[in-house]
Amino acid sequence: MKKWKLASPLAALAVWQALAVTGALGRATPSPWDVLKGLYDLAATGLPRGYHLQGHVAYSLLRVFTGFGIALVIAVPLGILMGWSRWFEAAVDPLVEVVRPVPPLAWLPLALVWFGLGLGSAAFIIALGAFFPIVLNTVLGVKGVDPRLVEAARTLGAREGTILRRVLVPGSTPSIITGVRIGMGIAWMTLVAAELIGVKNGYGLGYMIMTARDLARFDLLVAGILVIGVIGFLADRLIRIVEKRLLRWR
Amino acid sequence: MKQTRVGPWRSASACLACACAAVLLGALVTAGAGCGGSESASRVVRVGFLRNDLHQLAFYVAREKGFFKEQGLDIREGGAFNAGPEEMSSFSAGDLDIGYVGTAPCLTFAGQRMADVKIVAQANTGGTSLIVRPGLDVKEITDLEGRTIAVPGLSTVQDFLLHRALEKAGMEPSQVRKTVLKPPEMLPALAGAQVDAALAWEPYPSMARAQGAGRTLLSSREIWPDHPCCMVVADSAFIEKNPDAVRRFVAAHVKATRYIRDNRLEAADMAHLFTGQPTDVVRAAMKNIGFSFRPDIRKIGEYAVFMAGQGVIKEKNPAAFARSMVDSSFIPGDGK
Repeated sequence: MKKWKLASPLAALAVWQALAVTGALGRATPSPWDVLKGLYDLAATGLPRGYHLQGHVAYSLLRVFTGFGIALVIAVPLGILMGWSRWFEAAVDPLVEVVRPVPPLAWLPLALVWFGLGLGSAAFIIALGAFFPIVLNTVLGVKGVDPRLVEAARTLGAREGTILRRVLVPGSTPSIITGVRIGMGIAWMTLVAAELIGVKNGYGLGYMIMTARDLARFDLLVAGILVIGVIGFLADRLIRIVEKRLLRWR
Repeated sequence: MKQTRVGPWRSASACLACACAAVLLGALVTAGAGCGGSESASRVVRVGFLRNDLHQLAFYVAREKGFFKEQGLDIREGGAFNAGPEEMSSFSAGDLDIGYVGTAPCLTFAGQRMADVKIVAQANTGGTSLIVRPGLDVKEITDLEGRTIAVPGLSTVQDFLLHRALEKAGMEPSQVRKTVLKPPEMLPALAGAQVDAALAWEPYPSMARAQGAGRTLLSSREIWPDHPCCMVVADSAFIEKNPDAVRRFVAAHVKATRYIRDNRLEAADMAHLFTGQPTDVVRAAMKNIGFSFRPDIRKIGEYAVFMAGQGVIKEKNPAAFARSMVDSSFIPGDGK
């Protein structure tokens, strides 16, 4: 089974290189080989010159994990409360549902005024993006816990706090982690867009991609896309490892 | 019950079938016209321009005043773009015949062989200002040492203006902190003291003044008089295939540019409609823009030398590259 894992990426690469060599993609689309050279340029020369790939990755990771961390810290407790208490859910749900469909990017101009250009506004936008899938999946998880388990704990004399800690939270963890995985994906999507308007210190993968687009360097642009894809993939793997640890009891 | 359910379904699918047939028929008719009536098809021009860009007012004026129609041209909106690079990508895709676009994206994309275009006329000169945030006590550019200055993109005309201004004042580029921000974001960034100064094209400097988000320290005419800015560019294949349409287009553009110069107040009212900006902002902004249609090859060359120095275009002889990019022969009076 394992050897099949590389099948779809390798096939995509082969088709891409073949199409590029025959010129079917037009002169604006680089070949995989161009992109590989582009990756080297990004790491060795940097874009803009002197701003290397490593720095772009580091600053983007900082922004994503700050925003994502904020979302996680607020969304999980809020979701548990909403799943646990009917009146609390009735009170909060309308607000959540009004804000949820708004694309995080629509907040950008306001974020700029509130938090300034830099980590604050980027983290705000990313947190907004990651927040809702985590909340909704947490609510879903808490509600999905078998009520008989809660009843059993109650008959055995457990207090509400204990039920929450020992029954509801562990029971809803699989669903919370699904929300976390979706949230992490959205965090990366919003990061790139948030950096598109500009950054203060000259670093960020989204900013790097925008620079490549301004300078008509599509090889560097696709290399940037690839880097984000790989980091997103690794982040998802990391969450899965954490998931396995947390759910060892299953 | 069943009957009533079937009814609307039937009529809906009948409608769909009709619509499909109509579309097919339409496609056939247009295809037929394209093959048979080459005379009328050759006057179709797909034009790209930047949304709400005051520099490109001549396009709006020529369209609204019927100057294109006078020339017998059928102008199709090829796209209203937010930024030049996207417009140049549309040229690469073969979706545009003629476009109003900044010199920077035009030379960048042509220099990277991503688009094959020629500059056939100029849209404007000048029209950029160095603005500083409110409350910042600076009297000249040397006071900006160590400060953060925003430009709309690396190696843009605005970036070059910053380099020239610093050079004129005897400063090194490293003596200021340069950052990239798109003009709409510059105003809140200035107001919030996120950046100390910014170089933006009109109408943003005039908007900054009107909103109290900044004041002008230097206008670009003090940095580089009559510098090239937006251009009218045409796809090389289109020029070859249809030189007559290019000539007619440039004639209408020249007439519109003259019209703006001769009818400032009316042009300002039209600019207000084009950009959606208040009339007083537009009037102030237009004072900083030179509407002139003849591209200055020497100045475009100077700018190309700067771009090559930044590594943005890889031309051994950037001045010759700039010369090869300009074809002024369509401007009335020059003749071919």
